Amino acid sequence: MVARPASVSASERAAEPAPTGLPALGLSGVFQHVAGHAVLNGVSLSVQAKESVLLIGRNGAGKSLLMRLVLGLDQPSAGQVRLFGEELSRLPSRRARALRRRVGAVLQRGSLLDGLTVLENLLLPLRATRMPRADMARAARLVMTQLQLDGMENHLPRALSVGQRRRVELARALVHRPDLLIWDGLTDGLDLPAVREIFALLRAEMEVRGLTVVATDNVTLEAILPEERVVVLDRGRVLFDGSRSALEAAAPSQLELRYLLQGRW
Amino acid sequence: MEPPAASAMPPARFHGLRRTPSSSFSGPVGWLAGAGLAWRSLLECLALYGNIVIGRERLDLPAFTAALRQAGLSILPAVTLVAAALGLILGRQAGTVLESFNFPGVLLFTITYAVVLELVPILVGVLVAGRAGVALAVRHATLVVTGQMDGLLVSGINPIRFVTGPVLLAMVVMSAAFVVWGSLVTVGTAYLWLFLVADVPPYQLIDAVRSTLGPFDVREALAKPFVFAVVIALIATVNGTIAGRDPEAIGEAATRTMIAAVSSILLIDLLFVLWPEA
Repeated sequence: MVARPASVSASERAAEPAPTGLPALGLSGVFQHVAGHAVLNGVSLSVQAKESVLLIGRNGAGKSLLMRLVLGLDQPSAGQVRLFGEELSRLPSRRARALRRRVGAVLQRGSLLDGLTVLENLLLPLRATRMPRADMARAARLVMTQLQLDGMENHLPRALSVGQRRRVELARALVHRPDLLIWDGLTDGLDLPAVREIFALLRAEMEVRGLTVVATDNVTLEAILPEERVVVLDRGRVLFDGSRSALEAAAPSQLELRYLLQGRW
Repeated sequence: MEPPAASAMPPARFHGLRRTPSSSFSGPVGWLAGAGLAWRSLLECLALYGNIVIGRERLDLPAFTAALRQAGLSILPAVTLVAAALGLILGRQAGTVLESFNFPGVLLFTITYAVVLELVPILVGVLVAGRAGVALAVRHATLVVTGQMDGLLVSGINPIRFVTGPVLLAMVVMSAAFVVWGSLVTVGTAYLWLFLVADVPPYQLIDAVRSTLGPFDVREALAKPFVFAVVIALIATVNGTIAGRDPEAIGEAATRTMIAAVSSILLIDLLFVLWPEA
């Protein structure tokens, strides 16, 4: 049983013409099977440039898998995943690399390279840019300052706390100034004040550079503003797609949503 | 829309490399897929070296230095010890043969030829496979298992160029150097034994080296470690990359790499032997 949300459904959104150019992210009828089980069941979603979307749902709802598909780390069983209008999996490797450079990603499992220092990890996305070394180091130090990582340049990831590692991952995702940020596990390892601080930084990036943010979480809605877009994923389907205020209005009247979101704001 | 069956799930494609679970690499088709990945890896490494030569990319010096240490210094004592032991064994056995059959020229020719063209290159290949090859496979598999490979991919880094590129270069350099060093130690030790114990005069030993090793032989002796190193690195890269996300896959990748590398070394050596001389 699927509760129809009060707001615009994901498939309706995906069918809408893009208001300004191509959407930053477009999912169309995405199915994914893992070990014979359907984890995603026809997910459609369109995220416009400069938009921020929080994808929420219980453990196992398919959020992380969806983010892996978006990043091209896995390929869907069926359906299309488009980044800036292009299907990553169909591009030749050089164009895929160029498209990848427009995306920054924070992965749920943590993906810092153990053998590299914090600074070396941050320099990874800049390697392909042919930027002079001094500029690369300057960009890395700037983002470290923004994320309160000063003085940790030569630390190895294993010497950092979970929260610090998440900050380093976010710094690595932002250091090359991507157009789209994929953040899987928004509050993993971070306390609420830290999430708010980071959200303030991201809002500044959105306003100044037009950064698009797609984040997943299974805990909190506190950090987002009432008008920001929330997508609720449940058992591989989009249950709700609309603003936080619309979700708050819809949830009490819809048992399934209320159950999913109980105590989350 | 009706989704396809799970078994029909296409693998992800990234930087032209398919991130595929190891099950897709089983059977004859999987073997071909593995060969394709090896070929692709070789092209990626060659492209990296080409770009370094023309100044479009930089060699990762810390990674290259670490690889030189791993493929070189760490196995230098083992190469030296085994080469010296081999030389003593050959010297001792040759001395026994010379007591019965007094054909020192033929015997020295055989020993020198076998050592320089067969025994030492194979020995070095096995040691490099056991140390640097297995380490490379484990490195790739660990990156996959721990999610660090995903970190490289989302950072826009080609993992083959990043991980295999410096190691392959180091393995080629060190393998060639070890074959020269191993040959010197083995032949030197065998001759020393024959000179001291079997009373073979030094001029006979020097003549044997001169008459045995022509330019073609030296080229072949140096070509073998080069080919072995490339094959070991590619086998390690393929086995590590396709390992899958199960932690046990790291050990399996190491074992598969060792077995495949040693088998390949012997088969390639056979091809060298059977190859018609110009």
